[in-house]
Amino acid sequence: MLRFEKRDKTPVRLRVLVPICSVLLGLLAGSVVMLFARVNPVRVYGAIVKGAFGSAYTFSETLVIAVPLILISVGLCLVYRMKFFNIGAKGQYIMGAICGSYLALFGPATMSRPVLLTLMLVLGTLGGALWAIIPALLKVYWNVNEVIATLLLNYIASYILWFFMYGTWGTRGFPLSKNFALNAQLPRILPAPSRLHIGLFFGLAAAVIVWIIIRKTRFGYETRVLGDNERAARYAGINVFKTVIIAAVISGGLAGLAGIAHTSAVLRILQLEINSDYGYTAIIAAWLAGLDPLVAVGVSVLLAALEAGGYQIQIVMRVPFGIVGVIESSILFCLLAGEIITHYRVTLTRRLSTPLALDERARGAHESCL
Amino acid sequence: MNPAFDSILIKVLAGAVQSGTILLFPTLGEVLTERSGVLNLGLEGLMLIGAFFGFLGAMKTGNPYVGLLLGMAAAAAAAAIHAFICVTLRGNQTVTGLALAIFGTGLTSFYGDRWVSQRLTTPIKPMAIPGLSQIPVVGPILFSQDLIVYAGYILVALFWFLLFKTKVGVNLRAVGENAKAADAMGVNVVGTRYFWTILGGALAGAGGAYITCCIHPYWLNGITSGKGWIAVALVVFAMWNPFNALVGAFLFGSIEALQLQLQAGGTYINSALLSMLPYITTFAVIIVATLIVRVRHVGTPKELGIPYAREEK
Repeated sequence: MLRFEKRDKTPVRLRVLVPICSVLLGLLAGSVVMLFARVNPVRVYGAIVKGAFGSAYTFSETLVIAVPLILISVGLCLVYRMKFFNIGAKGQYIMGAICGSYLALFGPATMSRPVLLTLMLVLGTLGGALWAIIPALLKVYWNVNEVIATLLLNYIASYILWFFMYGTWGTRGFPLSKNFALNAQLPRILPAPSRLHIGLFFGLAAAVIVWIIIRKTRFGYETRVLGDNERAARYAGINVFKTVIIAAVISGGLAGLAGIAHTSAVLRILQLEINSDYGYTAIIAAWLAGLDPLVAVGVSVLLAALEAGGYQIQIVMRVPFGIVGVIESSILFCLLAGEIITHYRVTLTRRLSTPLALDERARGAHESCL
Repeated sequence: MNPAFDSILIKVLAGAVQSGTILLFPTLGEVLTERSGVLNLGLEGLMLIGAFFGFLGAMKTGNPYVGLLLGMAAAAAAAAIHAFICVTLRGNQTVTGLALAIFGTGLTSFYGDRWVSQRLTTPIKPMAIPGLSQIPVVGPILFSQDLIVYAGYILVALFWFLLFKTKVGVNLRAVGENAKAADAMGVNVVGTRYFWTILGGALAGAGGAYITCCIHPYWLNGITSGKGWIAVALVVFAMWNPFNALVGAFLFGSIEALQLQLQAGGTYINSALLSMLPYITTFAVIIVATLIVRVRHVGTPKELGIPYAREEK
């Protein structure tokens, strides 16, 4: 019989070991799924590594994917710490892209490039923040489940984009906008054909800023207390309303920024497919990083490599991209399963079951943190 | 009234019952799962797994009912992963459910790639109930359907009875309301949660398989198009009551049938707004339902989403 004893503190060793084992087991699970389809996993993983890191160009393409993942996952680290499960990054990303692109497509042509780009980024950030404020308000006022609300908002945002693209923003009936003018293109930082852009610096800056917010500010401390125990947070005089709203705005805003930055720098056009599924991948990145924004940067690059490699194997080996979802979700499963050993000391006992009263006395430390 | 209009209306409502049945199964399953205190947000993934493996089974055997059972079994197996992580290992139920949704989407689009657009030539056929189907208006809408729709009616009644009128139901609700007390009463908390999570998964799989084995007998990646998420929302609307789940599912089925009918003559722009309709409605409904639940204190299992740890306070 297994016995669980609550840990007060997770040893650093485990906090490193569990994510690493999760990644390995996730890759193993992916191999099993591939074997059933008579696909050689060794060749696939080889091709993924080559497709992600094979040359300077492919690595820069990996970083192109990493940029939105970093921006989004860093914000998610903040909201997830207070157990506000925003899974609406996809919708926030789309709204950011729509709002920012509006200026690119219909803004005054005379505006200088720095001004126009700044306004686009601000508008995109606001769009994403707005899309996150809605579920946050519903949560704090009426306790509406944020998971369902943010998810539905993802679908609604997708159809808003659809509405514009098949409407006045499309060209000649195709769901493609006109190309962004040079003034509306966020600068790329490496020579062509690399598409890596200055959004990378936004991502790194965001990671550092959010890390400082979490570790060094009163607000960050409050989000952590709120996540551990909402009632205790209220007694301690923490303004739950304000904390949730601000954190949601930051995370939504970063997702919106990711949306407009990717659209303006990489795609340079607004279309139906703007890679908004990064909003889901970023959730895995945040969780895999243990909700630490600095670690999230590295993890984002890793998952971006998986995605970049995933596109490659689809093109080169005709292996469906779905395998990336299988691997990512398997990693997440293992990570969640691993929480049992980071949160509890698990020991094997001889007795088959203990009477409740005995267990009462031996019960673990404070409030559950699951 | 105009007979042509009548026949269109009857056709739309009969379609609403079919669309509603797709939603009914996962909603019903999730009502039971959540009653046991386990939150499974992965319905979308489970439905996709049910839809794909149901389609695969029907294609391989030529029998759509065998396909349906296979789809249910596959989804039940996937739900067992959720149960293992959330019940035994006390993992975070919200994120595990999300992982399940991503898993189902990825797995079915990986295996389903070679099946895209292939058609099932032997889908489930309607089977009118003699007598009942002769009733004007109601007959063609409710009783000229297929066996799966009828199974839905029966399951609603069965689970309602089970939940509120039997010892099994009392135990199930006790586990979701206060696991510690249930444990002290001698109820097997872990076993109960496993059973209803896996059964909920099988029902979600049935909803998905019903799509590919009957309504749209072909395979497309992501064929459930968010219905799993709508089902999660419908559970709140249903206030964790099987009968309300039926009402909610058929209501949303009607919205979808209406949308399809309007789309038939619409332009692209209208179709975007029309496609948005179910999600907007769900969004509004979830807000209203949450408010009602708050005022009337009905339904929500008190320990929903909280893992049971016997040794803790």
